[in-house]
Amino acid sequence: MATLSTDVLVIGGGATGAGVAWDSALRGFDVILVDRLDLAEGTSGRFHGLLHSGGRYAVKDPKAAVECIEENRILRSVAADCIEDTGGFFVTTPWDDPAYADRFAEGCKATGVDCEEIDVAQALREEPRLNPDVSRVFRVPDANIDIWKTVWSMARGAQSRGARILPYHAAVAIHRDGDDVTGAHVRDDRTGQELDIEARVTVNAAGAWAGQIADMAGIEGVRVLPGRGIMIAMNHRLVNTVVNRCQMPTDGDIIVPIRTVSVIGTTDEHTDDPDDHTVIESEVDAMLDDGEKLVPGFRHQRALRVWTGVRPLFEDAKADNTETRDVTRAHALLDHAQRDGVKRFVTITGGKVTTFRLMAEETVDAVCKQLGEPRPCTTRTEPLPGSEERRHYRIGDRLEAKEERLTDDQLICECELIRRSTLEETMRRRASTNLDDIRRQVRLGMGPCQGGFCIYRATGILHGLDGLSAEEANGALLGFLQERWKGVWPVLYGDQLRQARLDDWIFQGVLGVEHLR
Amino acid sequence: MSARTPQLHYDAVVIGAGTAGLTAAVRLAEGGARVCVLAKGVGSTHLAPGTIDVLGYAPERVEEPGAALPGFIAEHPDHPYALIGADAIGPALQWFAERVEQGPLPGYRYVGGLDRNQLLPTAVGVVRPSALVPETMAGGDERVREAVCVVGMRPLRDFHASLCAANLSHNGSSARAVEAAVEVDRADVNSVGLARRFDDPAWRAAFAAKLAPVVHAEERVALPAVLGLRDPRGAWEDLQQRLGRGVFEIPTLPPSVPGMRMFEILKAALRAAGGRLVLGAEVIGADRAGGRIEAVRAHASGHDVHYHARWFVLATGGFASGAISIASDWTAHENALGLPLRGFPAPGQPRFVADYFAEQPMGRTGVAVDGSLRAEGAENVFVAGASLPGSLPWKEGSGDGIALASGHRVAQAVLDAEATSNLRTPA
Repeated sequence: MATLSTDVLVIGGGATGAGVAWDSALRGFDVILVDRLDLAEGTSGRFHGLLHSGGRYAVKDPKAAVECIEENRILRSVAADCIEDTGGFFVTTPWDDPAYADRFAEGCKATGVDCEEIDVAQALREEPRLNPDVSRVFRVPDANIDIWKTVWSMARGAQSRGARILPYHAAVAIHRDGDDVTGAHVRDDRTGQELDIEARVTVNAAGAWAGQIADMAGIEGVRVLPGRGIMIAMNHRLVNTVVNRCQMPTDGDIIVPIRTVSVIGTTDEHTDDPDDHTVIESEVDAMLDDGEKLVPGFRHQRALRVWTGVRPLFEDAKADNTETRDVTRAHALLDHAQRDGVKRFVTITGGKVTTFRLMAEETVDAVCKQLGEPRPCTTRTEPLPGSEERRHYRIGDRLEAKEERLTDDQLICECELIRRSTLEETMRRRASTNLDDIRRQVRLGMGPCQGGFCIYRATGILHGLDGLSAEEANGALLGFLQERWKGVWPVLYGDQLRQARLDDWIFQGVLGVEHLR
Repeated sequence: MSARTPQLHYDAVVIGAGTAGLTAAVRLAEGGARVCVLAKGVGSTHLAPGTIDVLGYAPERVEEPGAALPGFIAEHPDHPYALIGADAIGPALQWFAERVEQGPLPGYRYVGGLDRNQLLPTAVGVVRPSALVPETMAGGDERVREAVCVVGMRPLRDFHASLCAANLSHNGSSARAVEAAVEVDRADVNSVGLARRFDDPAWRAAFAAKLAPVVHAEERVALPAVLGLRDPRGAWEDLQQRLGRGVFEIPTLPPSVPGMRMFEILKAALRAAGGRLVLGAEVIGADRAGGRIEAVRAHASGHDVHYHARWFVLATGGFASGAISIASDWTAHENALGLPLRGFPAPGQPRFVADYFAEQPMGRTGVAVDGSLRAEGAENVFVAGASLPGSLPWKEGSGDGIALASGHRVAQAVLDAEATSNLRTPA
């Protein structure tokens, strides 16, 4: 069995873990990052895509609001290419307490969240599908962030500084030597191969799963309450600005336009199992009703896909209820040397995607402290690979790139405008036979047809490119179809059902893929 | 009803221009009825491979569909084939094959029948059992022992020869893939674009000249189904001669070139028999009188037209065409005439299951019919094709057979009823 050694072992490849790897690598540490799945496949890849301005927390949680707006400003600069500057509205609908709007404006002022009230007429000019019965509208610097792009930019940036990024490597044991954590035993779930990793410091960045990792290290009482929320991606951009209800945070009160879709979110239900992705029909109904309040006609749009994510809410000793939204959204950094007398082990959990960089900074500061090697953080100013020009992503960028190569580069996914050269380059770089991994890189199959046309093409290209065996290629195709179906069937109605049946016609009727099994 | 709304009168109005609707319409027109086909757009033909699959899996692969049908019907008494009757399927296939041979594509014909399924490769290289197939595809039968050279063309992103060949090899055939050079001026060409080029003899000759050196003497040549729209038989023969090898087509992603040929053949037969086809006319409602439908209202080019008829054939398809849909309150509807459905799970029951490849509980939903394919609650409406309840067309490999045989069958029912009523009409 192979043994690797490193300065910093990071367990968990979500935004926080990848942020820790990137931050550590920038500070000159040798890093290994492991995740039991692909990077950003857990909580980070299962949110609505909102880069908070802080407005949402301006009244309820001013500390969170301050963190959000500060991080929003930093990320807009260092992760510019991963962010689309949509701006955001907070709107008072007929269902909202009209008195909240003034509290909201005061809260924004107090927390430094840029906020400007605009005419309803102006808001409707900008967003014609917005409910015309809104009474007040505030403009804030919300944006959307492509978290897969962000996480992989950090992972590749770390890699170029020597870090080893190991997706699909599950930690199966944490090594202890007396009071010291000395690394972990991991297993490659694709090959079954096992590895020992010796680390000077181990960082538990497993988010909603952090309690499980802490248990492996023999540390008690790290309790993370998974708060489950559902999100639905609707076809097209129903709005081009993030739209929030101007009220105390509740279910179904945000619509985030991101790439080719609009995502509505979310709910918040306590669950015991962070791997529980059950979608309940009444939640879908409630979400569609909530969408209707912000964008009339919402129900009649095509619902493409539904998914759930679990927030990692670190249990506050004072909180004694299961209403998880009331548990603090603030992150929790646990230095186990101080907390438990266990050295060289740090847990970071809680928090939100918008503040992942800050969480990583504080974590690596704690790592430096453990190692007795203070090294300054540079992630506030160092751009992620791809964001060096500090230019935001724009919705038309892919179309522009395609138009430049109209006659010499094939279009493989019409919905997401993915060119053959882009797809091939991604397949080579990822060296993965899992088309879902490729999906997260380039949004393959994430548009209205949900892979109906592009997945056969992508399988053929993958097969030709990698010289895969027939079984491997078939597995890629069948695996993608099954994975896609999970998010599709609970919201199948209207035109999207028609689309799904057309896809069935292609895969089952024309191609007969079920006979590949 | 507004006096200004145009009112048109026919003996029979067929709604839907897929295989089922066109078959019904042609047969009605040939039987002397004045027929009009109303369709929102082109239908199943442009999506399906253009083969007539009658029964491919039950659930094991069916070798002899004619022999298997009686047992299949006995096991599935609510299946469309049970209502159509096993004996009516063969004549429908025969009727169709004749229309192809009399059709506008010179020499183009379908081969096979109910005796034995032909085991033709799909574009991923698995076998699809089909009863009646275009002659241009028949050479792909896996029981032909000759090795296969699957030819890909880079600009056609909808056909991947290496994947197809790998699966054919994996399943015991001897197959390999080559990429043919094709002269096109852009990165992407779909099947229709390539078919138009294969219609051009000079382009075809240049293609064959480049391909010939890479094909081995003992191989059959498999090409994606793009061998022309105007004279596919001529193009196919020409390629076989130029390559000195057997050539066959493999259907792939829509738009389906062989399906479009089928559409042109049925459309020409309809015209020849005096029937009318109106595309872009979506039926959005009906005028009822008790248990009968007097007229349907179609929306076309910004205005409504009423089409009156004694008989209506609903052949609008199922969920895939949007003929039947689920609303966001999870109720299911037939959208053209508002007819009652059968087979849709009751409220609170699962509509789908999490395993993509399992039978989906809503999969057999269709318009409720009686034993003679008459719609429940509308005595002068017959139902054909994918609108019928009780089948799993893709899993069974039965969709085309159901469409053809039910279209054929309901036309006969209308003609029989017309003959009876004419007899009763005093001279």
